[in-house]
Amino acid sequence: MHWWFPGDGNAYSTLGGKIDDLFYLILVIVSVTFVGTSAALGYALWRGAAIKSDEKVWFSHGSHSLEVIWTIVPSAVLLFIALYQLDVWAEYRMKGFAKEKDGSPKVITVVAEVTARQFEWRIRYPANGKPLKPTPQPDDIYSVNELHVPTGGLVTITLRTDDVQHAFFVPMLRVKQDAVPGKMIPVWFDATMPGNYEMLCAELCGWGHYKMKAMLVAQSADDFEAWKDKASADQFDDGYRKPAE
Amino acid sequence: MLRENLISMPRCSRTGFSVLVTFGLAVMNLGCGNGPQAVFTYRPTTDDLISEANKAVTKTLTEDFGTPEKLVAWERFPINYGGVKGTVASTDGPAGSVTVSLEGDSAKISKNASLLWISGSQANGKSAETSVKGFNAETKTLQLASGAGAPSAGDRFVVGFGEDMQLGRVVYMKNCMHCHGVTGDGNGPTGKFLNPRPRDYRNGKFKFTSTQSQEKATRDDLHRIVQYGIPGTYMPSFLLLGERETTAVVEYIRWLAVRGEFEKRFVEELTNDYSQTAIKDSTDKAEKSYLEKKRNKEEAEKPLNLSKAIKAAGTAFKKYVDDKELDGAIEETANLLAAAWTQAETPEALVVPTSQRVEDTPESRERGRLLYMSNTTKCYTCHGPTGRGDGAATEDFWDKPGTNVKYPNRGLHDEWGNPLKPRNLTSGQYRGGRRPLDLFRRIRAGIKGTPMPAFGDTVLKEPQVWDIVNYVMSLPYQQKQPTAVKHPSETVANNEEKPAN
Repeated sequence: MHWWFPGDGNAYSTLGGKIDDLFYLILVIVSVTFVGTSAALGYALWRGAAIKSDEKVWFSHGSHSLEVIWTIVPSAVLLFIALYQLDVWAEYRMKGFAKEKDGSPKVITVVAEVTARQFEWRIRYPANGKPLKPTPQPDDIYSVNELHVPTGGLVTITLRTDDVQHAFFVPMLRVKQDAVPGKMIPVWFDATMPGNYEMLCAELCGWGHYKMKAMLVAQSADDFEAWKDKASADQFDDGYRKPAE
Repeated sequence: MLRENLISMPRCSRTGFSVLVTFGLAVMNLGCGNGPQAVFTYRPTTDDLISEANKAVTKTLTEDFGTPEKLVAWERFPINYGGVKGTVASTDGPAGSVTVSLEGDSAKISKNASLLWISGSQANGKSAETSVKGFNAETKTLQLASGAGAPSAGDRFVVGFGEDMQLGRVVYMKNCMHCHGVTGDGNGPTGKFLNPRPRDYRNGKFKFTSTQSQEKATRDDLHRIVQYGIPGTYMPSFLLLGERETTAVVEYIRWLAVRGEFEKRFVEELTNDYSQTAIKDSTDKAEKSYLEKKRNKEEAEKPLNLSKAIKAAGTAFKKYVDDKELDGAIEETANLLAAAWTQAETPEALVVPTSQRVEDTPESRERGRLLYMSNTTKCYTCHGPTGRGDGAATEDFWDKPGTNVKYPNRGLHDEWGNPLKPRNLTSGQYRGGRRPLDLFRRIRAGIKGTPMPAFGDTVLKEPQVWDIVNYVMSLPYQQKQPTAVKHPSETVANNEEKPAN
């Protein structure tokens, strides 16, 4: 059914399924509209060809009722879409800010700072057990073109760019967000299954745009912590090995 | 679309034991239409040679290294061109198949792979190049294509020779060529817009390596750079290229570096005697002294004019070739490069600390700071007293190496003649890697082709290097400069000074 979607067609995030549903809804609406208007146009042409030359022509231009109909019907459809998608949009872009149900402020743990630059993704993580600070810290962990995130819950990244506009795009999670120079943009998403997902730049950012391919590695929380420990050990390696005795 | 056209041509090379093989790739279609044909360009010094010498150099380069569309694998150099080598164990099996022992991974043998006889009766015959119908890994039998001739036990062969090299070229043309250029001279179409400029491989030097200061880069070094890129430059990370592709492109880059340095060194042998500039210089000089002598009414012979001098040099070059001196120069250059690149892969070439990193304490950082500010290391002259890369050296005019001519711009330059800023150590970006080990290596072995010197073992002892590493690694996170301990020169010289109005 979803064969035209990226990867195996399934969305690997909670919100992804809802985004797919919206896609199908809009697809159905535009299909009906397209087929309907095409049929009407075809009918008009066919009818027009059959009109005898001595018959009087009827002009619809200036018809008040027609104008009202084709203003109200599309407006209603658009309004419906606007209202219907509101929940998904809010969940994607705003609910991360909202308070918990009991009124306490929602705690946002930022997993990493993702910085796009021509033509790669550079990523900075806080050390295990520490929050991400806006400025680099001595024990931060760095990776490039490989974003590790834990599964099983909402994760947040801070999206930045070093140079021009880029867009953070993980097709299989249905996440897309522009990176704008001078801004630090929070992006929320979750990965329902551990695995490797393609991570791309979705904004033509220069001649090497096609090179900006990276990988999003979703791991269980334990694996994620273990990976961070290992990455940290590698990063602070002093190269000294005890000689074998 | 890439059309592969394998034209393997074994040829006896000068020494007899190395095999020269060409393998080619017809036309590369870039973009929508046929892109410009990929060609290896020559150095200006090569173009400056008189025509006889220039022809000899370009002929050697074309014969021994080929063109981008028809590469030649010169086996003298330690480069993995790809392919699985093996020996015929017995020929008892059914006709057209032989039992073999392989020296590599049999999984790499694909159907219809090319087969090349290296030794034995087939090696120099018509059927030296043939192909493989299939390989049975269990019985170790290799089915040969018809017309493969009759090999005998003990014959050596290679299956799929040059496959990695061809893959490396495709990867290079897709991802690297735009900046680094077809020849690896850093003159690709986008190269001139970048700062810092893309690396010119043709000096055989790479900046960020794990090896001693005089050694080449290792495969691992290049592999790491391709995978993780160089932060702070336009070299991006190619982490998702795939292991096979990365390995292949690293070999291709090493080969380009060998080709470039071969040209450089070979031409340097000839430049003094056979370049147009050198001949013009010497005729000008001779003319000058002739006029001088004439003015003094001394006896003097009229020197050759330029065109005659070039002609004479051409005759001399013919003798140089006849005396086998040209072949000698080629041999010597090839030997030197082969030895250097082989040496780089040995454990002795690596810079490895023999002691643990000194614990990162404020005391250690302070010791590091004092060393940084001392005249033993003179770190501060370039990197600046606060590590911002704004030392006094960046304000000076420097000589071009080996000449008395100064660079037109202030500041330091690298071996390639590009302006170079000393690293701002407070930015937290480390081009050669951010591990303490990487910083240790930068201080120990320097940065090749740049004014960053190798301090080696004599100037700084290992714990001292670690102290500097600790200090440098603390710089990006420092809020205030420590004022507790002042540099000796400051306390002596500046104490009495009154602030200027």
